[in-house]
Amino acid sequence: MKAVGTRLPRYDGVGHVTGRTVYVDDVRVPGTLWAKALRSSHPHAGIVRLDTTKAEQYPGVHAVITHEDVPRNVYGHLEALGVPADEPLLAEQAVHYRGQPIAVVAAEDEATALEALELIEIEYEERPALLDIRKAFDPDAKPFHQWGPVFPHFGTHTSRRIRKGDVEGAFDRADLIVQGVYRPQAIDQVPIEPQVALAVPEPDGRLTIYSCTQAMYFSMGVVAAHLQWPLNKLKFVGGTVGGGFGGKVDTATETISALLALKAHRPVKWRWTREEEFLASSTRAPWHMEIADAVTQDGWLLGRKMTTLHDAGAYTRFSSYGVTKHSFHHPGAYTIPNLRFDGYVVYTNRTPTTAMRGFGVTSVSFAAEIQMNRIAESLGMDPFELRLKNANRVGDLTANRVRLSDPSTVPVVLAAADRIGHELKAEYRQMTNAPRSGELLPEHLLASVGGGS
Amino acid sequence: MARHRGRGIATIEYPTGMNQNGDPSQAWIKVKPDGRIDVFAGTVDVGQGSKTVHTQIVADTIGVPYDWVTMDVSNTDSSPICTGSFASRGTFIGGNAVRFAAERVREKILEIASKEMEIDPADLEIADGEVAAKGAPDRKLGLADVAAAATWTYGELITGTGAAFKKYSTVDDDTGEVDSEPHAAISYAACVAEVEVDDETGEVFVEKLVQVYDVGRAINPTLVEGQIEGGAMMGLGLGLLESSYPYYPSLEHRGEKFGAYLAPGLDDLPELDNVIVENPSSDGPFGAKAIGEMANNAQPPAIMSAIHDAVGVWVTEAPATPHRVLKALQERSEPRRDGKRIVYDEELSIRGLSATAGKGPDGTGFILPDE
Repeated sequence: MKAVGTRLPRYDGVGHVTGRTVYVDDVRVPGTLWAKALRSSHPHAGIVRLDTTKAEQYPGVHAVITHEDVPRNVYGHLEALGVPADEPLLAEQAVHYRGQPIAVVAAEDEATALEALELIEIEYEERPALLDIRKAFDPDAKPFHQWGPVFPHFGTHTSRRIRKGDVEGAFDRADLIVQGVYRPQAIDQVPIEPQVALAVPEPDGRLTIYSCTQAMYFSMGVVAAHLQWPLNKLKFVGGTVGGGFGGKVDTATETISALLALKAHRPVKWRWTREEEFLASSTRAPWHMEIADAVTQDGWLLGRKMTTLHDAGAYTRFSSYGVTKHSFHHPGAYTIPNLRFDGYVVYTNRTPTTAMRGFGVTSVSFAAEIQMNRIAESLGMDPFELRLKNANRVGDLTANRVRLSDPSTVPVVLAAADRIGHELKAEYRQMTNAPRSGELLPEHLLASVGGGS
Repeated sequence: MARHRGRGIATIEYPTGMNQNGDPSQAWIKVKPDGRIDVFAGTVDVGQGSKTVHTQIVADTIGVPYDWVTMDVSNTDSSPICTGSFASRGTFIGGNAVRFAAERVREKILEIASKEMEIDPADLEIADGEVAAKGAPDRKLGLADVAAAATWTYGELITGTGAAFKKYSTVDDDTGEVDSEPHAAISYAACVAEVEVDDETGEVFVEKLVQVYDVGRAINPTLVEGQIEGGAMMGLGLGLLESSYPYYPSLEHRGEKFGAYLAPGLDDLPELDNVIVENPSSDGPFGAKAIGEMANNAQPPAIMSAIHDAVGVWVTEAPATPHRVLKALQERSEPRRDGKRIVYDEELSIRGLSATAGKGPDGTGFILPDE
């Protein structure tokens, strides 16, 4: 019997539905300490004074760590791709978002750890928060990020750029220019299992880290970078996650648990509360997108100009990656020959945003698809037919000049129309994803099909 | 005071694998002395069912029953690198890693069987855990016997490794042009949302979602449907309910518990009509493309367009809360027409909000789409 294509039951389904699957929080190791973090209560402030002495001396406390305890405190998620580091594991002279960790305590139990947090003395100097990405360059907006209001490392540019074809010519030739603004907001991943890690110092000097990460080797690399350790001193145990959706790529708890375990010489578990999960675990980013499309009366998309602002929150994390991915997909499931795109990563005083299901593209699908329906309405054209006409076809070139080999815009639109009984004209009903020819290859598309850019 | 029906469509595409690649997944497989298969890989099962899908891929690649295969993704000591379970890379890239490893194992099994059966490996095939001569199916040897021979006769371990990797694709920062394909594949989907909008309360009720997904090849159709239906729920949250910052960009009223953050529940589940289209990829395991992430991308714009179809207003800030829908109904704002230009949403734009039209004091800020 063939397995592929078969409706086999989930390998681990019975364990999940009977509660027998072992998640990180189910792992019990004798002598485990609890971790609790002192987090910033302000979106933007200087740290004038930080004194952990009393917390360290509190009975039942085994370790307190601040940025001074981290061998390499500032790390960047995209260093391997040449993006410089900008985020401290634990805050140093300033806090840039509410919920940012400053100091973390490991104690005999949860209550003791919470009591010890109260004994940490901290004095803030509050500063104005920058929150509206549209105003990032305004004179009264005071950039707090070391790199200024926006990420400046797209080569020498401050935006991820797409420049393709003759966009000005397309706008001159257009019968209609349709312009709109699209703003999908931040949402939380809302995993049932909050961020959690258990770090166990082993007798041989290694550290075993029970982790809910979506990416064991990536997270192991993050811990190794902060600790300045080789990978063979670390063992990640995981592979079973109680909901991730992108929020468990960021390696939120593993490094700090490891540092506390090493300092206390005891196993340490750090399990975030639901409140921490909402407040300090990174969200999907809010996006601001403005699109202007040059279209002809008979429904051809000649050109697109688009500006995207991505609200990164306080630090970069994966934001520049997300904006680049966004730029590659900004024409959606269609072939638009002339493009000018600028995508900016904008820093604000909110919890750093991160990957979430559809990273970089959920936003542009939202914008581009409402835009398509507005264009259809403006032209008095059937929205299915507008899509079929401009659909990606075999041999078309994408925004980044990749030739498409198996695009399915046409089959999925036809299947949807068929399913709801939506009538299409015969010329549309008979379409396939085959290379363009005849009326589907007008002059303006010649350069986008079969070579050139 | 009435409920109005509307319908909207969205069509999307989504890349498989990390953008610009450079994201390895690796696996290794060993065969026990009785022919049972142990797979070690790093692909975390985040609930999407990757362990099940990978097991299916290995079973068919080698030619053994599904329940002969055990997947271990539990730790980094026994597993080689996997970049991670994100970027919709599990089935395609993680799946290719175990497929490539399984192909090596299959070759090794045939090599041992060839010695035992005195038949050229090219004339042998494996199915249902048995090695048989092509065209002479009565000449066969169970995989248990092959593995036993490897262990006790030839002193060999039947093993194989696989590494899926596509080189990093470099982008030209001036033009966006890449020097190689920056993805493993591209999947497509269409969604038709049918809604009812209450023009008195501003509430939007999604009655039905018709969802069509091209996944290349559905390795496990039930798990594909799980992604489609789970994604639909998340899309509902994005389109209608959820917001980390309800007064964005303000930080006020940040939801800090389930009671203060409105995620969709089963009560919100509309009628779902799932359609799987199979337009195979050239490089994926058994022609598969990804489904994971894209499954929540099409519903929000389809819902917004259905709202427009129902009551004639565009809501372009998500989620379409009752407040936003009512506000749009009250304002009924028309786009500004300027020659051939139709300008929507000016009140939301950078030009409309920023004191310097986003340019900053020295004019080096944002490039805007109307210039």
